Amino acid sequence: MNGNTRIGGKKSAAAAAVDYIILTLALALTLFPLVYTFLGSFKSNMEIMTDPGAVFPKLPTLGNYRAILNAEGFNVLRLLWNSSYYTLANVFITVTISAMAGYVFARGEFPGKKAVFACFTALLFVKTGGLDIYPKMAILSSLHINQGLGALIFMQLFGIPIVNIYLVRGFVKALPRELDEAAEIDGCGFTGIFFRVIMPLLKPILATIAILAFQASWNDYLMPTIFTAAAPEQQTLIVGLMSLQRSDGAATSWNLMLAGSVVALLPVLAAYAVGNRFFISGLSAGAVKG
Amino acid sequence: MKGVKLRMRSNPGAAAKRRRITLQCYLMLALPIIGYLVFTVYPVLWTFAWSLYSYNGVAVNARFVGWENFATMLTKDFTYWRMWGNTLLMAVMKMPVELSAAMILAVILSRRGKASGFFRSVYYLPSVISIAVVGLVFSNLFSYFGVFNGILMRLGVIEAEVDWFSSKALSLTALTLAGIWNTFGVNVMYLLAALTNVPAEVYESAALDGASGGAVFFRITLPMIAPVFRTVLLLSLIGTLSVNEIVLVLTNGAPGGQSFSVMSYLTRQFVPGFISSHNLPPLGYGCAMSAVTTVLFAVIAFVYSRVSGTMDENT
Repeated sequence: MNGNTRIGGKKSAAAAAVDYIILTLALALTLFPLVYTFLGSFKSNMEIMTDPGAVFPKLPTLGNYRAILNAEGFNVLRLLWNSSYYTLANVFITVTISAMAGYVFARGEFPGKKAVFACFTALLFVKTGGLDIYPKMAILSSLHINQGLGALIFMQLFGIPIVNIYLVRGFVKALPRELDEAAEIDGCGFTGIFFRVIMPLLKPILATIAILAFQASWNDYLMPTIFTAAAPEQQTLIVGLMSLQRSDGAATSWNLMLAGSVVALLPVLAAYAVGNRFFISGLSAGAVKG
Repeated sequence: MKGVKLRMRSNPGAAAKRRRITLQCYLMLALPIIGYLVFTVYPVLWTFAWSLYSYNGVAVNARFVGWENFATMLTKDFTYWRMWGNTLLMAVMKMPVELSAAMILAVILSRRGKASGFFRSVYYLPSVISIAVVGLVFSNLFSYFGVFNGILMRLGVIEAEVDWFSSKALSLTALTLAGIWNTFGVNVMYLLAALTNVPAEVYESAALDGASGGAVFFRITLPMIAPVFRTVLLLSLIGTLSVNEIVLVLTNGAPGGQSFSVMSYLTRQFVPGFISSHNLPPLGYGCAMSAVTTVLFAVIAFVYSRVSGTMDENT
C-alpha cells in the first residue's frame, strides 16, 4: 500500500513535470513574437537589419519612439487622438444598443420577436466579401454624410452587435421576474423598468461589453481604412501603422513600425491586464450559450 | 396558459397594455431594425442585383448581362476558385493543429487547477490584439532578414535565408502559423470551460472501472464536451474561411497575388482604400463573386448545423 502511493507519487510528479513543460513551451511560443517586437522597438534600424537573430538590443535606444512623434505621414499623437474618440464613441453606442436590444429580447413580448431575433442571429453567417460598402457609402452620401470617422460612427449607430445582445439577453433572463413586477406595481412601464431597474443591474455584463467593444474598435482595420482613404488626417493608429507598411520606404522603416506596433498594442494589453476577467466572462458566457 | 391568454385578450385594458409594450419594444429596437434593413438587407440585395450587370460604378454605362458574370466565373476565370483553394488549404493546415493543440493544453490546464488561470490568460493574449498588428509583427518575424530565418540558420535547419513570400506554399505556411498563434487561445478557453463543467464523479467512476487514460478521453471526456466542441469547430471553421486582414498585411498575396484568401482577394480587388489600381474595378463581376461568397458561407453554416444536429440526435 505504502509502496504503491510512493510509486504513484513519483508517477504523478513526473506527470506534473511533463504537464508544466508543455504549458511553459506553449507560453514561450505565445509570448515570443510580442517580446521580440517590444525589444525590437528599442533597436536602431541598423541593428534590426544586420543582426536579425538577436532578441535583445545591443545598444537600446529610444530613438524610434522619438522618431514616430514627428515622422512624416505618421503623427502618432494625432493618430492616437483619432483612435481614442473613434473607440470611445463606438463603445458608448455599442453598450447602449446591446443593453436595450438584449433587454427587449429577454423580457419583451411582441409579435415578430422570434423573426427579428432570428434575422439578427443570421448576421453571424452573412459574409459578403466587402462589396456591400458601395451601397452603404451611397446611402451615407445621399444623407450628406461624407467620408471620415464621423460617417463610420454614424453607421455604428445602426449596427447590430449580435454577440453582445446575446450576452445581455442571457444576463437579463437570469434576473428574477419579481423585480419587474414590483416596479410595474410602482407604476413603471416597460421602458421605465429597463432604465430604472434593469440597466443598473447590468453593470457587470456591460463592463464586459464595453471592454470587448473597446478592443474591437481600437483594433479595427478594414472599415477605418476604407473611410479614411480620402481623409488621411483622420486615420486611426492601426490604419496609420498599416499605411506605413504599405508605403514605398517600408523595408527601411521597421524601427518605426515596431515602435508604432508597441504603441498600438499597449492600450489593449493594459486593458487586458486590468480587465482580463471581463474578456473571459464574455467568452465563457458565449460558450454556455453556444 | 391558453386560458390566461384568452382572458387577457377579452380584457381591453390588457390589450392596450400589450399594444403599448409592443410599441415600446419596437421603439427600443428601432435603430438595429433600420440598420438591418438599410445597411444589411439592402446592400446584400444590391450586390445580388448588380451581379447580373456589366457595371463599373457608373450607372449610365451599366448593361444587363444576365448570368454572364457567373458563367465567366465558372468557365473562364478560375482566380476566385483558386482563392477558395488557398482558403480551404489553410483551413486544412490550421484547424487540426490548432484544435488538437488547444485540446491538449485545455486537458492539461483542467487537471492543474492552481496555475491554469495564469497560463490561459497568456494563451488568450494574442486573440485580444489587432489582427492587422499580428500581421505586421509576423511580417517582421518572417522577413528576409527576420528573426525566424536567423534562428533557423543558427539551428542549422536552413543554410541561407529563405524568402518566405517567394512561393505560394511558403506564404500559406506563414499565414497558417500566424493564424494558429492568433486564435488557438480562444479554443483553449472554450474547451477549458467545457472540461471544468464535466463532473468529477464521472472520472472517479471511470477510474474505479479501470478505464485507461485514452479510453477515458475518447469515451467520456469527448462525448461530454461534444456540444461545446461543435461550437468551437463551427467558429473556428467560419473564422478560418473568412480570414482577411492578416492576409492583406502579412503576404498581401505574395508572390504575385497567389496567396490571397477569398475575402482578402475580394477586398484587394474591389474595396475602396485597398484597390491597387486607379481604375474602377469591374463591380458587376465583383458582385457576382460576392453573391457566390455570401451563398457559400450561408450553405456552410446551414449544412454544418444540420449535420451536427443529426449527430446530436444519434448520440
